[in-house]
Amino acid sequence: MENKNFSVSQINSYLKKKFNMDPKLKNIQVKGELSNYKSYANGHDYFTLKDENSEISGVLYKGRKRNLEFKPEDGMKVIIKGSVEVYEKKGQYQLKANSMKKDGIGDLYISFEKLKEKLKSEGLFDESHKKDIPKYPKRIGVITAKTGSAIKDIITTINRRYPQCEIYVFSTLVQGDFAAPQIVSQLKKSQRYDLDTIIIGRGGGSIEDLWPFNEEIVAREIFDCKIPIISAVGHETDFTISDFAADLRAPTPTAAAELAVPQTDELNNRICEINKRLTKIMDNKLSSNKERLDNICKKQIIKNPESIYNIKQMHLDQLINNLDHYSKDMITKNKSKLRLLENSAILKNPENIYENKKTHLNNLIKNLDYSSKNIITKNKNKLQLIEGSTTLKNPKNIYENKKTHLNNLIKNLNYSSKNIITENKNKLEIIKSSKILKNPNEIKNKKEDRLIINIDKLEILNPLLTLKRGYSIAKSKDKVIKSVKDVESGDEVNIKVDDGTINTKVI
Amino acid sequence: MEDLSFEESLEKLEEIVNKLESGNIPLDDAIDEFNNAMQLVKVCNNKLNNAEEAIAKIVEDNGELIDFNINE
Repeated sequence: MENKNFSVSQINSYLKKKFNMDPKLKNIQVKGELSNYKSYANGHDYFTLKDENSEISGVLYKGRKRNLEFKPEDGMKVIIKGSVEVYEKKGQYQLKANSMKKDGIGDLYISFEKLKEKLKSEGLFDESHKKDIPKYPKRIGVITAKTGSAIKDIITTINRRYPQCEIYVFSTLVQGDFAAPQIVSQLKKSQRYDLDTIIIGRGGGSIEDLWPFNEEIVAREIFDCKIPIISAVGHETDFTISDFAADLRAPTPTAAAELAVPQTDELNNRICEINKRLTKIMDNKLSSNKERLDNICKKQIIKNPESIYNIKQMHLDQLINNLDHYSKDMITKNKSKLRLLENSAILKNPENIYENKKTHLNNLIKNLDYSSKNIITKNKNKLQLIEGSTTLKNPKNIYENKKTHLNNLIKNLNYSSKNIITENKNKLEIIKSSKILKNPNEIKNKKEDRLIINIDKLEILNPLLTLKRGYSIAKSKDKVIKSVKDVESGDEVNIKVDDGTINTKVI
Repeated sequence: MEDLSFEESLEKLEEIVNKLESGNIPLDDAIDEFNNAMQLVKVCNNKLNNAEEAIAKIVEDNGELIDFNINE
C-alpha cells in the first residue's frame, strides 16, 4: 500500500462518513448519568453522559428541548435517544440527543398502571361513588402546601369568583416520602371542620414530585372521604390515581377553584333575570285581572242594579204561586181521605162495636158457667169416693189396726226385757263362777304371805330375836343397864331372856 | 327566610317563579308569593354581594385557626 499522507481534515471527514453510514449509530438509545450539564446562550445544552467506567460528550440542540418533560440536572439518570456523530472541527465524537427521558420512569409507570387496575377492579373509581360538588359552598377545605403555588391560585380564584366562601387550609408536604402519610392525616383531620367541599392537590412538577398523589393510602383516603372532593394535581396532562379516586378531577388548582365555587356575577345576572320575570308575571297578572274587572263593571247587572231586585221578585212570585198550588192540592187530598173515613162501615153502623162486645161478654158468661159446674161435679165425685172408702164404712178397722200395733209393741217389750234378764243372769253366773268369788281366801293368803315376809324382815331387827340367840337385856327401874354405874348395890335388876324375865338383886 | 342557604333561597325563588308562570294561581296568593319572592331576591343579593374578600384560614396542627395571607 502506498504510503500517502492524509490531512487531519481528511481523517476526520472520513470518520464522520464512516459513523454516518453505520445504522446503529444513526439511531441509538444510551443510558447514563448526566454531569457538567450547561445551557449556553445560543440555547443549546451541553453535557457529559457517564457510567462507572466511561463517559461521552452530549449535546441537546435548542429545537429538541421543546419535547423535554423535565429540567435536566447533574446526577440525573437519563435515557437519551439520538445518534453518535463526529464533530470534525475538534476531532471528537458526541451523542446528539433527539429526546431525553428520566430513567426509572418506566418502573414508576408500571406500578402506576398496576395500582390503577387494582383500585379500579375494587370499584374505587366507579361513577356510582362520585358525590355531587355543592353548587354554593359556604366553606371549602384545601389540602396542599401552604407555601406552594396551588394555594395562591385557589385563594385568588375563589376571591375573584365567590368571595362569600370561607377557605380552610390544611397544609401538608406534597412531595417526597413523607408527603403521602401527611396528606392522609390532614384529610382525616379536615372531616371535622364542617366543610362543603375539599380541594386536594399541588402545582406542576416531575412525575416523582407528583408521586404522593399516586400512593394507595392517599387514593383510599380520598375514596373514604365523606365530603365531596376535587383533585387537582399538576398540569392538564398529569393524571394521578388521586384524580381517579376523587369525586371530580380538575386539570389545575385554578380550575379546581373554578369548579368548586360559582361565579358571583353569573348569579347576580340570574337573580336579576328572575327579578325581571317576576315583575313581568305580576304585571301581566294584574293587568289581566284589571281587564276582567272592567268587563264585569260593564255588565248589565252592575250598571242596572235594580235588575237584581226584579229577578228576586220574579223568583218570589214563582214561590208564592207554587205554594198556592201545593196547598190547594193538599186540601183536596185530605178532603178525599175524610170522605173515605166517613164512608167506612164502622162509622155508618156504630152499634156493630157494641154487638161485638156483647157477644164476647156472653161467651165469657157461658164459659164461667161451664167451668163452675165442672168444679162442682169434680168435688162431688171426690166426696163420693171418700164416702165409699172402707175406712169410713168400717171405722173399727182403725181401732183394730191400732190394737194390733199395740200388741206387737207389748210382745216386743216382753221379749226385750226377758232378753235383758237372761243376759244379766248369765253375767251374774260368770261373776259367781269367777275364781275370786269362789276362793276369797286366796287373796287373803296372798296378803298374809306378804305380811310374813315383811315380819321376817322386821324380826331381823327385833331385839327379842337377839335374846333367842342367848343374849339378855338387863333393866333396872325400867331402864336398860348399859354401864356398871347404872346400878347400885341392892338395886333390883330384871334380866330379860327369851322365854321370860329373871328378877335379881345386885349384891 | 334569612336562615335559608343561598342554594335553598335560589331554588325557592325559581320554584315561585315557575308557580306564578303556570298562571293557575289566585291573585291574592300570587301577590303573597310575589312579596315572598321579592324578599328572597333581597336575601340572595345580600348574600352574594356582602362579602368583599374570601376569608382564608390555616388549620394549625393543634387545631387552631389562623388567618392565612397568600402574600406572606
